[in-house]
Amino acid sequence: MQGTRWRWIAILALALGVLVASGCGDDDDEGGGAGAATTTTAKQEFAAGTTMAKLQEADEITIGVKFEVAPFGFKNVQTGEVEGFDIDVAKAIAADLGAKPKFIEALSDNRIPFLKDGTADLILSTMTINAERDEEIDFSEPYFIARGRILVKKSDDSIKSVEDLEGKRVCTALGSTYEETLKKQAPKAKTTLVDGYSECLEAIQNGSVDAVSTDDVILTGMIIQDDTLKLVGGEELTTEPYGAGIKEGDSAFQEFVNESIQKFKDDGRWAKSYEKWVGQYTDEDRDPPTMTLEEAIDLTK
Amino acid sequence: MSSFVELLTENYGALASGFWVTCRLVVGSFILAAVVGTLVAALRIAPSKWLQRLGGIYVETFRNVPLLVLLVISYAGLRRSGVAIDTWTAGIGALGLYTAAYFAEVLRSGVFAVSRGQIEASLSLGFDYPQTLRRIVLPQALRTVISPVGSITIAMIKNSAIVGAALALNDMLKEARILSSRTFDTEAAFFWAAVGYLILTVAATIAIRRLEQRYAIRR
Repeated sequence: MQGTRWRWIAILALALGVLVASGCGDDDDEGGGAGAATTTTAKQEFAAGTTMAKLQEADEITIGVKFEVAPFGFKNVQTGEVEGFDIDVAKAIAADLGAKPKFIEALSDNRIPFLKDGTADLILSTMTINAERDEEIDFSEPYFIARGRILVKKSDDSIKSVEDLEGKRVCTALGSTYEETLKKQAPKAKTTLVDGYSECLEAIQNGSVDAVSTDDVILTGMIIQDDTLKLVGGEELTTEPYGAGIKEGDSAFQEFVNESIQKFKDDGRWAKSYEKWVGQYTDEDRDPPTMTLEEAIDLTK
Repeated sequence: MSSFVELLTENYGALASGFWVTCRLVVGSFILAAVVGTLVAALRIAPSKWLQRLGGIYVETFRNVPLLVLLVISYAGLRRSGVAIDTWTAGIGALGLYTAAYFAEVLRSGVFAVSRGQIEASLSLGFDYPQTLRRIVLPQALRTVISPVGSITIAMIKNSAIVGAALALNDMLKEARILSSRTFDTEAAFFWAAVGYLILTVAATIAIRRLEQRYAIRR
């Protein structure tokens, strides 16, 4: 009798344990799926052997993003999560894929090696589409179009256009398109090449450079952080269409990413995300880009 | 392999300029480290307790703060507080003062390695204290510190890469990274950077070996 009673208690305890564990499991699923819940719910079927099927199977897609470039990809100090426009696009793609996004930091100069050696499955890090990079990796259709601009201190009146950068110290990121742009448009400018744009912000604040040159949206992010800085007006230096980076030759995955981005543009999520990260600060309305990948590549030829 | 050679011939200027920046950084820091390290070591073995403590504070400060933190303080930190320091001064200053702490410790241990009995013997033979130091203690101390000084120098050569990354100085590693981002040939770019550092470390190793042989005790 004694023995059976103990057995019953053990079984009850076990059953309870399973119940609690499964309850927790449900919670986890809901937590993880919160981002996905806004889009498609049913998982898409993919042909075996494709990158999509592999990533869905692994239930994880590693996406290289910026960690310190507000408002495109940056770490929220309070939550420790990465946020921004690029992150919204990345989450939309991951949701369509039915895999959890895992974000890793991709700097301007290591993101292409990351794709080549498989460290990242996808890159969404304010990366401009250009012919040179297109030789090494594949791009999606442009998902955003930025414009090249110059940032200076509000008190600085000596720089009014790119020509005025001659002889000045200008900061930009190592491996960005501005290295070349500056060489062409202001060959006598002294460029300081750093790993990330937060270092450029530090450099202009402490006076070791006179100007920062990069995409307008990134510079706007700096002005949001420090209102003693301003953008130099006038004509833009360059047009910078952003594309998602994909490993060279994976055309099925490229097509999938394109479809996912197209949906993101069409169903209003693009506009919502734009307003949240850029529009509310610049008071400038923009429509999702209609430029095609070929046009973007032709821009740089 | 041909791509390796091609990268070198086509970008020789950039790689060479990176090599010279690293050389200047290393030589400047070494001189500063040697001078400051000797002074601090002198404080550490001085006959006054307070001077010894002063030396101790220096060593513990510069040995316990990570080099990267020192670099940020010496450049961005100083500039923000109104000191218009340039990258070279900040870089050589931080790397030199950091390495000086290690030099000081090695020099001090070298002096202590000479037994007390020898000093007493020297004094009893009629040498005065400075003479004892110069003719008895220092020659022997020097011999024991050559090898550890060599290790620290090699570590310093490699640490110079941190300076380039933190202060946007276009040193060997930075030039390699610029090349790698421009040509997308990561392997070749970093291979040549490694060769550049190897040239410097091997040169340091040979110099140390020569010194060791020259001052070795014949057994």
